[in-house]
Amino acid sequence: MSRPVSTISGQSGLSSSGSGAPLGGQGRSLKATGDDIWKNKTEKINAELFTLTYGAIVSQLCEDYDRDFAKINDQLFQMGYNIGVRLIEDFLARTALPRCEDMVRTSEVISKCAFKVFLNISPKVTNWSANKEAFSLVINDNPLSDFVELPMDAMKGLWYSNVLCGVLKGALEMVQLDCDVAFVSDILRGDQLTEIKIKLNRVLKDEIPIGED
Amino acid sequence: MTIYSFWIFDKHCNCIYDREWTLLGNPKSGTTNSKQNDDIAKLLYGTIFSLRSISGKLTASGSESANEIRSISTGKFRVHTYCTATGLWFILLTDFKPINYDKILKHIYADIYVKYISCNYLSPYDFAENESEMRGQGVRKISNKNFMGNLERYLETWISA
Repeated sequence: MSRPVSTISGQSGLSSSGSGAPLGGQGRSLKATGDDIWKNKTEKINAELFTLTYGAIVSQLCEDYDRDFAKINDQLFQMGYNIGVRLIEDFLARTALPRCEDMVRTSEVISKCAFKVFLNISPKVTNWSANKEAFSLVINDNPLSDFVELPMDAMKGLWYSNVLCGVLKGALEMVQLDCDVAFVSDILRGDQLTEIKIKLNRVLKDEIPIGED
Repeated sequence: MTIYSFWIFDKHCNCIYDREWTLLGNPKSGTTNSKQNDDIAKLLYGTIFSLRSISGKLTASGSESANEIRSISTGKFRVHTYCTATGLWFILLTDFKPINYDKILKHIYADIYVKYISCNYLSPYDFAENESEMRGQGVRKISNKNFMGNLERYLETWISA
């Protein structure tokens, strides 16, 4: 994949130093971490092969489930979940990041590190809820959906890239964040944006040995 | 340098791997996943668990980085820890030679554990199968041959160095 790095917050070109935002310093270092790992520690594969392989999986599922799109969405989500619970270890091994102190930090890590490291994109974080526990990721250049056009009957029911929600759900759960992850809209369905909503339900408690409480 | 033993704990407080070398400097000696180590594993877990929670409480909240336990020293040996955000603990008991054990433990995690356990779909990613095996009551251990072989070969070079 040789698509150019998408810049956050609409700045073009190299980001200039001296940003006054409170999260500026942290944000920049996360972005630098993500970029560095993508450049130096990531084995790349051909983006088209990746896109077409995913397309083949979805179309096979459509056949297997007789175009029952609700079931296909569930299946894609489940596949993603099974990937996410393992992928998180790979991610942590490469980034050595500690747990995030809040969802704001989590959103930055997901956007600037996780998506960057695995898909070389940085979705935009937006639509924060008032309590800062739910946000949306807006994906501009979803590599899964390159070359894809949905047939008419799938436009209403299918969340084509639902595997991403599963991955996020599985990975977040492994770092004790119980979240709801779901698509809100998808350009493939004729919407304006491709948007994934992530909502924190609760922070799971670390276990303690029996008899210690 | 000498490594005395190596341990992995998972997020269910279970020891999922233990390796003890009994003869000094001999990488072939000792036991793997030994039943006899069960009590020691529990004590080791408890010690580190307590120190972690104390160090957490002694740190002002909102500070940039967490106050993680890296090593504990006694009169006879040193305990090195490497904890991941997913709740895995990698622990090494060694002598006092000043070596960067953090790097060794990170290598074990990133290049051996992730490669042969996490990315291996035939190996479970969670070693507790149901609730009765959680909270330190688990019985399952890592038995993957590739994991064990690679770990031995990697630590061997440090033991005989």
